[in-house]
Amino acid sequence: MFRHNFKYILKTLFRDRMLIFWTYAFPIILGTFFHMAFSDIENREKFDIIDIAVVREASGGNGNANANVNGNANANAKYNAAAYFFKMFEYMDVKNNADGLFNITYVNGGGASETDGASDTDGTSDTDGTSDSDEAKRLLEDGKITGYVTYDYETGEPRIVTADSGIEETVLKYAVEEMMRFGVMMQDGISPEKIMKKTAALISDVTGDNLSYTMIEFYTLIAMTCLYGGMLGMIALNHTLANMSCRGKRVSVSPVGKGKIVIGSMLAGYIVQLVGVAILFAYTIFVLKIDYGSKFLYIVILTLAGCLAGLALGIMLASVVKAGENIKTGIMIAFTMLGCFLSGMMGITMKYIVDKNIPVINRLNPAAMITDGLYSLYYYDTMDRFFVDLTGLLVFVALMIAISYGSLRRQTYDSI
Amino acid sequence: MTVFKTFLKILNRCKIAIIINSAIMIFIAVFNMRTSEIGMHFVASRPDIAIIDNDGGKIASGIVSYMRKGCDVKDIRDRGDALSDALFYRDLNFIIYIPKGYSEDFMSGKNPVIEVKSTGDYMSSYARMILERYTGSAKIYLNAFPGASDDEIVKKTDASLSLQAKVEITSKLDAGEMQKTTFYYNFLSYTMLAGAITSICLILLSFREEKIRKRIAAGGMNYKKHNMILILSCCLFTTAMWMIYNILGFIVCGSTILKTAGLIYAANSFIFAICCESIAFLIANLVNNKNAISGIVNVVALGSSFLCGAFVPVEWLSDIVLKIAHILPSYWYIQTNELLKKMEIYDINSLKPIFINMGVMIMFVIIFAAAANITAAKQRVASGK
Repeated sequence: MFRHNFKYILKTLFRDRMLIFWTYAFPIILGTFFHMAFSDIENREKFDIIDIAVVREASGGNGNANANVNGNANANAKYNAAAYFFKMFEYMDVKNNADGLFNITYVNGGGASETDGASDTDGTSDTDGTSDSDEAKRLLEDGKITGYVTYDYETGEPRIVTADSGIEETVLKYAVEEMMRFGVMMQDGISPEKIMKKTAALISDVTGDNLSYTMIEFYTLIAMTCLYGGMLGMIALNHTLANMSCRGKRVSVSPVGKGKIVIGSMLAGYIVQLVGVAILFAYTIFVLKIDYGSKFLYIVILTLAGCLAGLALGIMLASVVKAGENIKTGIMIAFTMLGCFLSGMMGITMKYIVDKNIPVINRLNPAAMITDGLYSLYYYDTMDRFFVDLTGLLVFVALMIAISYGSLRRQTYDSI
Repeated sequence: MTVFKTFLKILNRCKIAIIINSAIMIFIAVFNMRTSEIGMHFVASRPDIAIIDNDGGKIASGIVSYMRKGCDVKDIRDRGDALSDALFYRDLNFIIYIPKGYSEDFMSGKNPVIEVKSTGDYMSSYARMILERYTGSAKIYLNAFPGASDDEIVKKTDASLSLQAKVEITSKLDAGEMQKTTFYYNFLSYTMLAGAITSICLILLSFREEKIRKRIAAGGMNYKKHNMILILSCCLFTTAMWMIYNILGFIVCGSTILKTAGLIYAANSFIFAICCESIAFLIANLVNNKNAISGIVNVVALGSSFLCGAFVPVEWLSDIVLKIAHILPSYWYIQTNELLKKMEIYDINSLKPIFINMGVMIMFVIIFAAAANITAAKQRVASGK
């Protein structure tokens, strides 16, 4: 009888198209969306060459002329400072230095621009004394550059113009301040050669390899699938409950022990659930190339426990909640989605916020335990955290089963 | 009137789904709308860092106080997994571990190394630059003035780093406000699409149930008039939904909605709402099973929202994804919102791309409506009217 019931529940579950959609297809579809949306985020956050313009106009030409004609020592010093300033920019240009921060467009006051990095300007310079350039303004308006830099020959102060605030603009400000620092150092009597001399590395980066935070999205997806699988257990159990369907009534009056029926149904639900999770794993590993770390055996153990938690939750809801199938399914979905929300599905930092401020919530949340277990296998070398999560899941399973047992045992009806 | 009343009755049954959808939207929108400090003045970006100073010497203290000027140093204790978790979840961009005896080794001319952990993003690279700048400068002064005391080195280094460059920003926009409004309207694409498909499909499918359809066919009302009332009711529902979400937008985003940009945001969302309605019509004509609606809503609404940049900022999406997204109306809707975010002058030239986007959305409406009509006609013929 156990085999008979097991076989037919298995067939029934596999043939329920809606159920198979939600437990098999939906996680795969959602995973594909996650992959498409998040695959490039971390690359886009990496440091990139910044496009800027340097306005050289009133400058090179005029300063040079003044210095030569007047032979004025002061003007000469100013000219030297300016020349040094522009030379520094050339050094930071990616066209001249592979480690450069900027891709620089050199702009003359008259509006013509040159991008070849040649150092001298000719007679196209502005003569109205302002150091802005229409060309630079236009480049900024068109969004071609992050900002432009001008240099005031009288005060020797550089000026930065940007469209708004941001990290690229901050880096530009940083670079200009670097040049101002060199100026101060030179005033302190240190030669440019000494300033520019490369020193031994003073910083060593010891960050581990696995730091991709978008992985959390896929871990929550696994958690969601494990818990959604609870619907299978719930529906399998509903088939055997007298208050849920006519089939349940017939099963209840049949001369078969309830234990056999319930265990057969649960096993069928668990197997269908495991097949779904296995398909999702295969899809995420082979198609989406998701990295779960190298401890595959532990991942399997955690997933088995996670599916069991989903199943136990489904059984608990099926046996304790005295309502129609739709309401039970609704509660199951709501619980799963809330759990996934708290473990970071709709915003990766959510899990961190909860862990940091109200850790007890995620200690009770099976979705967070599954996510955290997978995260600890991916990110940490030690296993302590994984075992805490695994134990938490097993305690959750035991608790759910105990509640269900209390509710299901000796359940009899005089009439229904 | 009978048709309209029935329409409202069925709509009343899906109100919980609509209310839940809206509540989720408002919750997530408010949760994600960081009260950005970006305004009309330049604000330098400040990486979030943690410093574990195991030395406490003069040079180490110099590093800590300099890092505080350019970064937000967070007080996270080096206990358990707290620091590693913070780095993984980007609560920190950079962690600096100053080893014991660092200042002494530094002053004696050795090259002590500071260990760091970084997230590898823009902010962490910038934090590293700040740290390198300080240690590099201190090293230059140490080499130039070999006999100097640690106090002098710190003083000279601090002095050389004290100059600030002037930054002017040209934008007259309140970038923070515009960012908030754009996020709200981008997110709205999911809410409106999900809301329209759920409600309109459930209502239209209720009218198309076998028994009800036969009763309507046997009734006295011309089916053309009946369909016209249904279409008008759906239009009314879409307009009401659009108005409610725009009023909510006003509550959440404030006065930006009342400016020129706000009007264009509203107009854009109205065209998109019509587009959602036509998509819902098409789906209602293609599907016969009410239970399938929730699956379809999730796939269609979540799919187009993920691919077009409703949840993830458009600039973070890969080029291939954005190319694929061109076939979805949400893409054109979100592109307009993104243009509005940065728009300062409203003239024919700057508004042209927006009109093109709107035109494409109207094309989508025509295509979906035509497709819905063709499938409806085929089904009518198949079922013998």
